[in-house]
Amino acid sequence: MKTKTWIRILGLPVLSGLIVLAGCGKKETETAEQPAAQPAAGPAATPIDPATVASVSGTVKFDGAAPPASKIDMSQDPACKGTNTVENIVAGGGHLANVFVYVKEGLGNRSFEIPKEAITLDQSGCKYHPHVLGVMAGQTVKIVNSDPTTHNIHPTPKDNREWNESQAPKTAPLEKNFAREEILLPVKCNQHPWMKMYVNVVKSPFYAVTGADGKFDIKGLPPGDYTLAFVHEKFGEQDQKVTLAAKDSKTVDVTFKP
Amino acid sequence: MPEKPIPENDPIVSKSLAPHYVISMVILMATLFWALWDEDFGQRPWKAFQHEWKDRYSTFLKNARTQSRESQKEIEGSADYQKLKQDYEAASQNAAPRIKEINEKLHDLGAKILAVQNVFTDRRAYVNASTYDIETETSPSAKQRKQRNLDEYKKEPSTVEMPDGKKQTFKSFDELEETYNDLKNERTQLSAELGELIKPVNEKKELMDSYLTDHMVNLTPSQLTNLQNGVEALTPKIRQINVSEHNADIVREDSSNIVDRCESCHMGIREPVNLTATSMALKGKKPDEYARAFTSHPERDLLKIHDPDKFGCSPCHQGNGRATTSVEKAHGTYEHWLWPIFPRGNFEAGCQICHAADIVLVSNDVGWALSEGKDLFRQRGCMGCHRYEGYDKEPEDLLSIGQEIKLLEQQKKDNLKQATDFMQQADKAESNDEANRLNDRAVALKVTNSKLDLRIVQLDRTTKSLLQDLKKVGPNLKDVRLKLNRNWIPVWLKKPTDFRATTKMPNFRLNDEQIKAISAYIWQSGLKDSLPKHKPGNAAHGKELVESRGCLACHSLGEGGQLQGGTFAANLTRVGEKANYDYLVRWVHNARERTRPFCPYEKKDIGPEDYKKKGLPFVYDLDHSKCPNDGHELQVQNMTVMPSLRLSIPDAEDIASYLITLKKMEPSAYTDASFMDDPNLKDEGKKWIRNFGCAGCHEISGLEDEGRIGTELTAEGSKPVERLDFALLTEVAQRGGHEPITDAEDLARLPEGPAKEPWYDHKGFFEHKLAEPNIWDKGKIKPEIEKLRMPNLHLTKEQIRSLTTFLLGSQENPLPPNFQYRPLDYRRDIQEGWWVVKKYNCMGCHQLIPGQKTILMGMARYQEAQEQLPPKLLTEGARVDPEWMLRFLKNPALNDKDTNRNGVRSYLQVRMPTFSFSENELGKLVRFFQALSRQPFPYIPEEVPMLTAKETEMARSLFSSTAAPCLKCHATGDPAHDRVATAPNFLQARGRLKPDWMERWMIDPQAISPGTSMPSGLFRRENNHWVFSGPIPSSFQGYDKDHTRLLVDYILQLTAEEQRRVAAAMGRARAAADSPSFGGSNGTGKAGRAGIK
Repeated sequence: MKTKTWIRILGLPVLSGLIVLAGCGKKETETAEQPAAQPAAGPAATPIDPATVASVSGTVKFDGAAPPASKIDMSQDPACKGTNTVENIVAGGGHLANVFVYVKEGLGNRSFEIPKEAITLDQSGCKYHPHVLGVMAGQTVKIVNSDPTTHNIHPTPKDNREWNESQAPKTAPLEKNFAREEILLPVKCNQHPWMKMYVNVVKSPFYAVTGADGKFDIKGLPPGDYTLAFVHEKFGEQDQKVTLAAKDSKTVDVTFKP
Repeated sequence: MPEKPIPENDPIVSKSLAPHYVISMVILMATLFWALWDEDFGQRPWKAFQHEWKDRYSTFLKNARTQSRESQKEIEGSADYQKLKQDYEAASQNAAPRIKEINEKLHDLGAKILAVQNVFTDRRAYVNASTYDIETETSPSAKQRKQRNLDEYKKEPSTVEMPDGKKQTFKSFDELEETYNDLKNERTQLSAELGELIKPVNEKKELMDSYLTDHMVNLTPSQLTNLQNGVEALTPKIRQINVSEHNADIVREDSSNIVDRCESCHMGIREPVNLTATSMALKGKKPDEYARAFTSHPERDLLKIHDPDKFGCSPCHQGNGRATTSVEKAHGTYEHWLWPIFPRGNFEAGCQICHAADIVLVSNDVGWALSEGKDLFRQRGCMGCHRYEGYDKEPEDLLSIGQEIKLLEQQKKDNLKQATDFMQQADKAESNDEANRLNDRAVALKVTNSKLDLRIVQLDRTTKSLLQDLKKVGPNLKDVRLKLNRNWIPVWLKKPTDFRATTKMPNFRLNDEQIKAISAYIWQSGLKDSLPKHKPGNAAHGKELVESRGCLACHSLGEGGQLQGGTFAANLTRVGEKANYDYLVRWVHNARERTRPFCPYEKKDIGPEDYKKKGLPFVYDLDHSKCPNDGHELQVQNMTVMPSLRLSIPDAEDIASYLITLKKMEPSAYTDASFMDDPNLKDEGKKWIRNFGCAGCHEISGLEDEGRIGTELTAEGSKPVERLDFALLTEVAQRGGHEPITDAEDLARLPEGPAKEPWYDHKGFFEHKLAEPNIWDKGKIKPEIEKLRMPNLHLTKEQIRSLTTFLLGSQENPLPPNFQYRPLDYRRDIQEGWWVVKKYNCMGCHQLIPGQKTILMGMARYQEAQEQLPPKLLTEGARVDPEWMLRFLKNPALNDKDTNRNGVRSYLQVRMPTFSFSENELGKLVRFFQALSRQPFPYIPEEVPMLTAKETEMARSLFSSTAAPCLKCHATGDPAHDRVATAPNFLQARGRLKPDWMERWMIDPQAISPGTSMPSGLFRRENNHWVFSGPIPSSFQGYDKDHTRLLVDYILQLTAEEQRRVAAAMGRARAAADSPSFGGSNGTGKAGRAGIK
C-alpha cells in the first residue's frame, strides 16, 4: 500500500514530465495552410475600344544642309547594279526619311497580339529594302533575295541572339524573328560591306518609319499620355510627350539637326 | 513498569528531514528532466531544424506549380503577387520624378566638373611639383623665393569655359580648388541620394521577381508528388556523408576522417527544386535562421563536378563537419577549431585549397573573385616580395636544374671511373666468361653516360628557356639614364598614384631623404651607354597606329571616366612627361632589346669591351646568347612581357612621336633634381632599395641577386591566428566596435566597411593589411628602418576581397593529397597552358572561353567592324596542325624577310605580335590548345585523296558558284582585292588546317566562332549527306558523297595558279583594276605610310 502510493507520487510527475516532453516533441504550430486562394484574374489591361482610338501623325524635319550622299563602289561584285549611294542620311526638302517612330512609354502593361503576317525584307540591287524596318517582337521577318548574287544576312544585336546565314540567289526566303525588344539592331552583309540596314523590334504595333517626305502616322492608340521616340541611325533619339484624348488626332513634329 | 519517558527532544518527533528530501527530490527531478531534455534536444539542435524543414518544405511543395505558361499566369494573378507588384509600381512612380531630376543635375554637374577639371588638374600639377620642390630645397633663401613664386602663381586668376558656353573666371588657385571640390562633393551627395532612391525600388522589384521563381519548379507533377510523399515520411535522423564509404577506390585510408553531417540541418542543399530563403520563410515573415539554412546549393553545376558523396562539404567550405551540438560548433567559428567556415564574401577561398596549381580554375570561371585574386597577385607583383608556390617559379627551377646538372656530371664521372675499373678487372679475369661479363658492364655504363650527356643537353636548353621566361613586373632600372627625364624620378617616387592613378607601382610612404637617396642610387648605377638618334616622326600616323595595331589591348589612354583600353599594362596618358624619345622608339620597335646583356654567372652587364677582348662583334640575341667571357647563358632580353609588333623603324618613330605628345605639363617644368648626381647619397640609397625590396619587381644594378623580403604566403591562410601580428591592435580587433584605419582613402578600401564586429581573424587581418599595409605600426614609435615595409597597393574594395579570398584559401590542409587537382592527363596541359596565356594577356585580344569579352571587343573602333577583331580561339587546337601552330607562334609573320605583316590574316589592322616565346612556353601553348580541344598528341595528319579531273571540275564549280562565292571574302594575294578581304587565303589551308575541322566549319561556322563573317546554311543534310544548298551544278548528277568533303579536298590541293584562274573567271580581275573607294581609307600600314613619307 505504502510503496504503491510512493510510486504514484513519484510516478505522477515523471509521467507528466514525459507527457510534457512528448508534447515538446510535436510542433504545436499548425501549418496546414491552404494553398493561396485561387487568384482572381489579374487586372487585365482594359481592351482598346475601337470607338475611342486616337491617332498621331507628323513630319520629321531636317534643319540644315543634307550632306550629299556619298557614292558606293560596288564594282567588287559585277552582279550588283542599281543606285549606289550611302543611305544613312536621306533628307530632301527639309524632311528626314528613315526615322523610326514608336510609342516608347505610356502603354503600361498592355500586351498585343503578334501579327500573323510576315514583314518582308528584300535584298535587291545589293541594297536592303527597306533600309529601316519596324517589327514586333516575335513577328516573322521574311527575308528575300532578289539579286542574282549570294548575300548573307548577319544581324549583330545587343540583346537578341546573333546569327549569320547565307542566301543564294533564287532560294527560298529565310523566315526569322527577334524575341526581344531592341531599337536600331544592325543587319549587314559580310560579302557586300556597304549593305547595312536597321531592324527595330518593339512590343507594340504602334510604330512607323518616315518616308522621303518625313511623314509618319500612327493610328489606333487608346487615349492616354505617351512618349514618342524618334530614332535615327546617325542623329540619335529625340523624345516627345503627347496626350491623346478619345478620338484625338494630334500632330507632332520634330526637327533633327546635323 | 513505568513507561520510559519520552525524551523531550526526540528527533523522531520534533525533527523531520522532509524538506531536505523535497529539495533533493526537486533538484534530482530537475536534473533528470534537464538530462532527458538535453539528451533529446539540447545536444541535438538539428532535430528542431528537421521538424521545421518538414513543415516548411511540405508547405512549399503544396504551393509549388510546375513550370508552364498557365501556371506563371496563375501565379502572376495571385493576390500576393499583385500586392508586390503594386508596391513596386507605387515605389517606382514615387521615386521617378526625383530620380529624373537628379539624373539631369548629375549630367550638368559632370560637364561642369570636366570643364573645371581640365584647368584645375593642370594647375594642381604645377602646384604639387613646386611644393615638392620647396620641400626639398635646402637653401632657405631659395626656399622663400620659390614660396613667393608659388604664392604668386596661386594668386593668378584662371578662366574656365563652362559647358553652357559662358566663361567663368576664378580669382585664385584656392578659389578654383574650392569650386572643384564643391562640385565633386555635390556630385557625391547626389549620387548617394540617387542610390538611396533607387534601392527600395530595386528591392521591391526583386521581391516581385523572386516571388515568381520561388513558386515555380522545374518538375513534372508526378515528381512533385513523390517529393511530397518523401517529406511526409521523414523521421528525424542524422544525415551524414562518410567520404571513404563512397569512394574507397580512389581515396586512401587517411581520408576516412572526412565525415560531414552538415545536411542534418541544411536539408535543402541537394533537393531537386530551387529553394531560396524567401521561399522557405514563414508566410508573411522575413527569412529567419531556418529559412536561410534550408536553401538549396546556389551552384548546382559545381556540385555536379564535385559530387558531395565523394567530396563531402567541409573540404570546400571548411568548418567542423562532425559537430552536431550547435550551429557555432558545426561552422567551426569557435576558438578551438582551426578551420572555421569561409565567410560569405570569400566562399571561393575553398576552391584554392585544391586548385592552388591553377591560374584559371576551370574553363568557365571568368569574373570569379578567386581568379581575380590570383591574377592580381601575379600582375601587381606580390610575388616580387612574397614567395608563393607556383608563382614566378623560374628562378627556383633554374636553381634546381643547376643542381641536377651537377649531379649528372658527378654521376658521369663515377660511371667512367667504374667502367675503367671493370675493364681493368676484365683484362685480368680468370675466365673468358668473367671477362666478357665485366666488359659488358663497362659498355653498359658508357651507354648510360651518353644518355646522361643528352639529358644534360636538354637541361641546358631548359635553362635557356627559363632565362627567357623570367620576367619582372616593373621596368629595367638599369636603363633609367637612357629612358627617363631625370627630374621626374623623385616626383614619381613621392607618390606614384599622383602621377598615374592606375599604375601597378605601389605607394611606399617614402620620406624626402629616402626619395633623394633612392633616386640617386638608381641614377648613378644606371648604364651610361648612348642610344641611336632618331628623327621625329609623324604623330598623327603614330596615333592611328596606336589605336589600330592593338596596343590598347594591354595599354590604356585617358584618365578617369575617359580611360579606354586594357589595364594589363601602363596607362600612357602622361608618358611624354617622363620618357626620352629615342628610348621610346627603341622600346616600341622591340621592347625586349637590351642595352647590355647580363651575365648571371659574373653578375655583370657585358659591354662591347668584353666582346672586343675576344675579337667578337657586339651582337647578342636569342641566337647569340653565350657570354664571351665564360660561355654561360646570357640574359639577352629585357625581362618584360611586352612583345614586338614587328613595326618598321619609321612606324616606331611615328608612334613614339605621338606618345611623346601625351603630357599634361612640359618635362622641362619639373624641378631640377641635380642632387641625384651626389655620390654621397649612393650607399644610403642602396640601403633603402634593399630595405624596400625594389629588386623584387625591377632589375637594378648591383642588386640582381636580392632575395624576396616578405614572408611566404603559400600557407598563410592556415597560420594560427596568434601568429598573425595584430600588434597593438590585438585588443581592438578582439573587442571590435572601433575601426583603427582613419585615412579616408584607405577606409574606402575595406570590403566590409569600417569594422563593427570583432575582426580578430584571418579575414580581418588580410583586409586591414591590404587596405592600409602599415596599420600595425599604429601607436608604435620605431626608427625608419624598422617600420613596416609593405607598400600601399591602392586596391579597390573588390580587389581586396579577391586577394583576401585567395589568401584565405592558401592553406596547408589536412585533406588527403589526392584531393589536390594535379591531373596527369590532357588536363595538365590545360592547367599549365593557362599560366602562359594569362602571363602574356592573350585574352586581351582573343576569346578563349565562349562569352568571354576581350578588351578590343569593348572598343568603339570595332563596334561597326567586328570582322577586324582578332580571331576567336574557341576550337584552335582542332583547327590547326600543331606543327604549324608552333611555326606561327615563333614567327606570326610566317616569313623571315617580310615581317611587318600578319602571317595569316593580312587584312587585319591589328597585329599578332612576336612574343619570343621560349621552347618551354611554345611547347606549353601548343599542347594547351590541343588539349583544350581534346586532340590527340602528336598529330598524325590524314591523307588527302588526290581528286580526279572530274572531281576537280565539280569542286571548282562549287568553289566558284555564285551561290557560294568563296573568293569574295577570302584573300587571294591580289592586293586590290585583299584590301576588302575579311578571311584568310585558301593557299594557307594546306599544312595549317585539319580537314575534319574545315568540314565542320563549312557546315556551321557560327557554331565554332559565333559572330564570324562566314555565314551558316551553305550546306544542308540530304539522304545522310551534306549537300550544297544553292543550285547544284549539273556535273553533280549521281554524286552521292558529301559535297563538303569534296570542297575540303579541293581546297587542300588548291594551287596559286588555279586560284588566280578561278578568281579571274569570277570577274575579279576587272574589279581589281578599278581602285575601290570603299574600305580603302584605312589600308595596310604600308599604304598609309606611303602617303605620309
